[in-house]
Amino acid sequence: MSATLTFARKRGLDTETWLQRLIVAAGVLFLLIALLMPLTTMLVKSLQNTAGEFIGLSNFVAYFSNAALTQSILNSLNIAIWTTVIVVSTAFVFAYALTRSGMVGKKGFRILTMLPLFAPSLLPALSMIYLFGNQGILKDWLPVDSIYGPVGIVMGLSFWAFPHALMILITAFSNSDARLYEAAKSMKTPPWRVFLTVTLPSVRYGLINTIFVIFTLTITDFGVAKVIGGQYNVLATDIYKQVVGQQNFQMGAVVSVILLLPALVSFIVERRVQRHQSAQLSSRAVPLQPQKSPLRDALLALFCTLVCGFLLLVVGMAVYASFITFWPYNMELSLNNYRFDMMDGGGWASYFNSLQMSAWTAVIGTAVIFLVAYMSEKIKPMPTARKLLQLLAMLPMAVPGIVLGLAYIFFFNHPQNPFNAIYGTMAILVLNTLVHFYTVCHLTAVTSLKQIDGEFEAVSASLKVPFYTTLRRVTLPLALPSVLDISVYLFVNAMTTVSAVVFLYSADTTLASVAVLHMDEAGDIAPAAAMAVLLMLTSLAAKTLHWLISHQILQRTQRWRQC
Amino acid sequence: MNTSTPYLQIEHLRKSFGSFTALDDISLDIQEGEFVCFLGPSGCGKTTLLRAIAGLEQQEEGAIVQAGQDVSVLPPQQRDFGIVFQSYALFPNLTVNDNIAYGLANMKIPRRERQQRVQGLLDQIHLPDIGDKFPGQLSGGQQQRVALARALATEPGLLLLDEPLSALDARVRLHLRNEICALQRKLGITTIMVTHDQDEALTMADRIVVMDHGRIAQIGTPEEIYQQPATEFVARFVGSMNLLPARVLDHRNLMLGRKEVQTPLILPVCAEGTLGFRPECVQLQDGPWGLDRDEHLVLQAQLDQVYFMGAFARLEMTLDAELPLVQVDLPVEQMQNLEAGVGQSLWLSIPKAALKFYPQAQQGGERYQPHAQPAEMSMGVAAMQVAGA
Repeated sequence: MSATLTFARKRGLDTETWLQRLIVAAGVLFLLIALLMPLTTMLVKSLQNTAGEFIGLSNFVAYFSNAALTQSILNSLNIAIWTTVIVVSTAFVFAYALTRSGMVGKKGFRILTMLPLFAPSLLPALSMIYLFGNQGILKDWLPVDSIYGPVGIVMGLSFWAFPHALMILITAFSNSDARLYEAAKSMKTPPWRVFLTVTLPSVRYGLINTIFVIFTLTITDFGVAKVIGGQYNVLATDIYKQVVGQQNFQMGAVVSVILLLPALVSFIVERRVQRHQSAQLSSRAVPLQPQKSPLRDALLALFCTLVCGFLLLVVGMAVYASFITFWPYNMELSLNNYRFDMMDGGGWASYFNSLQMSAWTAVIGTAVIFLVAYMSEKIKPMPTARKLLQLLAMLPMAVPGIVLGLAYIFFFNHPQNPFNAIYGTMAILVLNTLVHFYTVCHLTAVTSLKQIDGEFEAVSASLKVPFYTTLRRVTLPLALPSVLDISVYLFVNAMTTVSAVVFLYSADTTLASVAVLHMDEAGDIAPAAAMAVLLMLTSLAAKTLHWLISHQILQRTQRWRQC
Repeated sequence: MNTSTPYLQIEHLRKSFGSFTALDDISLDIQEGEFVCFLGPSGCGKTTLLRAIAGLEQQEEGAIVQAGQDVSVLPPQQRDFGIVFQSYALFPNLTVNDNIAYGLANMKIPRRERQQRVQGLLDQIHLPDIGDKFPGQLSGGQQQRVALARALATEPGLLLLDEPLSALDARVRLHLRNEICALQRKLGITTIMVTHDQDEALTMADRIVVMDHGRIAQIGTPEEIYQQPATEFVARFVGSMNLLPARVLDHRNLMLGRKEVQTPLILPVCAEGTLGFRPECVQLQDGPWGLDRDEHLVLQAQLDQVYFMGAFARLEMTLDAELPLVQVDLPVEQMQNLEAGVGQSLWLSIPKAALKFYPQAQQGGERYQPHAQPAEMSMGVAAMQVAGA
């Protein structure tokens, strides 16, 4: 009898551990196929000629001997540096005003600054055309000849990148210790010295982090430069031109490798800095209560009003222009521009394709990302595989969308690839988008999982409850808010992204964001703006739904949270 | 100790994390129904040992036999234990009832019986009416009692407590100490508790396992550990102890600093060591006369400081400028009769039974090995060796 008992127990061991191993292995395999192998294929392609023969670095030599192409490197750096300087300094003051001043209307300002997160990056570019373009309403205000070029790109990117910088800096400013300020005050330190010796050091990691995040975002951006760049070429648009315009895939791969470098470097620096940040604040710190100071608060409120005014102007211009019948000749309001079926780019079908793609990405992505994060955080077997999983999960952050898109062509369009069947379907769009936005979601999931007591799995094991039961009954309900965050993040980004999917759609799976691009290319700027506005409204609706769910349903089902 | 087969046998357990040795050849037997405390400073391996017993850490070498079954390589799910953590680890989204019933759900027990058992456990932890509350609504002490009830719900053969009281405030801690002990005695469940708090170990345990650097420094009843600490480490860690570096002159005479003293002990053959005695074992004497030096160590020291400690007074005295200060605890009544002022010389006597001598460990990185020190043990100097008894 004891023999059968032992046998039964052995078998029990096998199912549970075996299941865990299976999921970890599946996770690793997934990221290998959907991320690492496409990237590797692209690296290999950059070393081959059109016939597929290995030619060493010849492509790179050709690239660097072409002055027109290498100029793009300087252009990209130029754009990225300018935008980073503008965005980070503005966001720094803005974050300071929101966290450290006694200014009124902070909540309102905060909500307004979120607006750009819901717009595709093409929207500010289209707005710029209406504001400062050849027939723009504020054209005379523009100090340079034409908005089509670096000025337009920097302005559009500044709008789009601003909330990203603000979010990190607000977090950095929130980590304050009031006792340091009290100590400084008791020693009669002048305010400017307090700022230099207390405030600035406490946010320095956040500041460095912001600089690198914004630099990466802007050097890799495709949408804004495509719409408003004019003759001003940057790396991301070069890739598009090489591949779509000249069908020169090898050169596209070369530019991709070059674009991957700054992104990788700033990614590595950013991860290093991140590690320092966590240990900075002691748990006994007393949070700072902002003091009122009429003159300073008034100046900061004025500044915030100007910034928010710019953001509203950009959004408002796009919305307004989308209702104008025929700019600038027929200024009557109508819905003509929303009759997408009359235009290039796939019409309304592309909007519904986008909805469908975003919904799939949100559902599948949340499930996959959360499960992988759970496995890498909470279980014991296969430590090496789990390390690999964590490493691979961080990689997508460093890969620009346009590079990932091109890598997908090389990998999945290869006739010998068994996954070749998904090329040109909705599945490849979902897969690509999921991987493109993987890292932020993974980090969100990991952060919330880390906050959950690490002994729950041990307790469950001692109570003979299998891990999946505890995952379902305890871990998932506890992590539900961040699961909802992940799903809405994926949905919004899937709606608005253009860079990665621009290479991957087919006639049946045109997407709304790509349609914006094509309508703009065809000169239908107003319908492009209309579609961009529609995408923004859809994202806002998703966010509102998310807000309702997390505030209403969570309150009802998660009574325990209030105690 | 009785001679029946132990409930839990740990044999030559070894575990390291990288270059850090957490468990170094640990062997230990625990009888059925015993309450054993693993005591030691942080990093001594006590928690690792507990987790190895639970299967939460996998040892590199050695075997664990529980109730006659070799569980060495079984995962925690296949072992028979309940566990309580310092962090309580209660599921915050489940009610107290659901928390306690968590392990019962998959035992195929009828719902009514399950409810009865949960209610019975709530009664046992003296919190009969909190079943519908969430953990967040309870105090720390209440949460820890619920965690205890949850661990006991599946009626495990072994209860593991990982610093269960460390997160609680002093008052609650004392109360819960008694409650855990009472419950343990009542259920007769074999229990292992990890703690770094010597008071907790001394008051609660049947036997204490003192650990140091991944090894067992001493195993014994609380009285044995306190009165006969086997090594200098144990003496230092449990209670307070005067430990004076000493040079051995011959089998009865020591140099303490620059003073030569005669000890009632027969000293082992070695060059140097440490002389130890507890502050409360010291008696004040009017003079050196009339004391049998075969039964007492007699010292003269200068009074430096007096600290009022509530129930007793602690005197700090200088024996010699080269030696650490000697601490002497006196009951408050005796203190009132003491007419000595700071700076005055006093005579001290320490009875032979209260004196310990720890020869210095030999060079070459040899560590304390309680099993391998029969020479000193036989002197009646160091603690009686009870490890593995």
